Amino acid sequence: MNMMASNRKMNPWIKRLLIGGLLLLLAGGGAVWYIFNEKFTDTSERKAAFTVNAIDLIHEFQQSDSLANKKYAEKIITVNGRISELEAADTTINVKMIDTLTDAYIIFAFQQQHLKEAKQLKEGDSVSIKGSCSGGAYSEILETEFITFKRCAVNK
Amino acid sequence: MKKSIILFALVGLVTVSFAQKKKTTTSATINFDATTSKDALPKAENKTVVAALNTKTGDVAFEAIIKNFSFTNPKIQEHFNGASWMDSDKFPKATFKGKITNLAAVNFKTDGTYSATVTGNLIMHGVTKPVTTTATVVVKGKAVTTTSNFTVALADYGVNGPAIGAGKVATEPKISVVAEFK
Repeated sequence: MNMMASNRKMNPWIKRLLIGGLLLLLAGGGAVWYIFNEKFTDTSERKAAFTVNAIDLIHEFQQSDSLANKKYAEKIITVNGRISELEAADTTINVKMIDTLTDAYIIFAFQQQHLKEAKQLKEGDSVSIKGSCSGGAYSEILETEFITFKRCAVNK
Repeated sequence: MKKSIILFALVGLVTVSFAQKKKTTTSATINFDATTSKDALPKAENKTVVAALNTKTGDVAFEAIIKNFSFTNPKIQEHFNGASWMDSDKFPKATFKGKITNLAAVNFKTDGTYSATVTGNLIMHGVTKPVTTTATVVVKGKAVTTTSNFTVALADYGVNGPAIGAGKVATEPKISVVAEFK
């Protein structure tokens, strides 16, 4: 009877290894689950890497969009400027700040939870917008530089 | 002298008239859906696409900055822009240049819904491929809204990342393009 009980008793090292393996598996699974279920944070809660004036930003991209892309792309930027145009984008609104001398422009598309505040903006308003800069490029269609932003929020 | 002035005025009028036929927008939208039964995350939207439509010649053009495709999940967006997918640092834009081939079937002067056939070249990931698709054209007053749904085979554009091989990304994502010209 005693012999049978001792046979069933697991080697403590194997037991520790199994528990350790299980914990690692759970942690790994948790990390993968977190990474693939993570959503972008509300932009209004993010800290801006740069705060710039709209026309200065346009000029920086016009001087060298490759350098400006390296500096700003995929970073959270606050842009201060005057709204030149509001443009409907499907069911939403985009805000544009245009350099009237060259027609180069910055365009801001808003994060879902900030669409309501974007719809209240008016042409001519001076605003501060924070968003994820997607970089700029030369438009062959419009023959000018354009800089695009996604997931924007209006700074209050 | 008088003749020269009249000639210049006429040239000016013709130029203005042709320019008015070209409509543009900087807020066309492209929805990209590469979801599969294994993964519902590869889905994005770009709301700042530049588009042009010439109602006289039927010329159509689109330009989209790849990095402005917005995903809900940061990791998927990183993969999408990475070297094994769109490699957006190297190929920052996707462009389409084409033409409505049945222009006679679309009356831009009369309100209505028309079916257009669009043929052109799509340049994506540095590869140029011919594309033919249908588009719904809605004319309402001076506004023209075009909607087109089609698929692209990623392999045709040299996009062959491991996630595609594993069935987590559709091999032929659905693309939906909406442009409202005013």
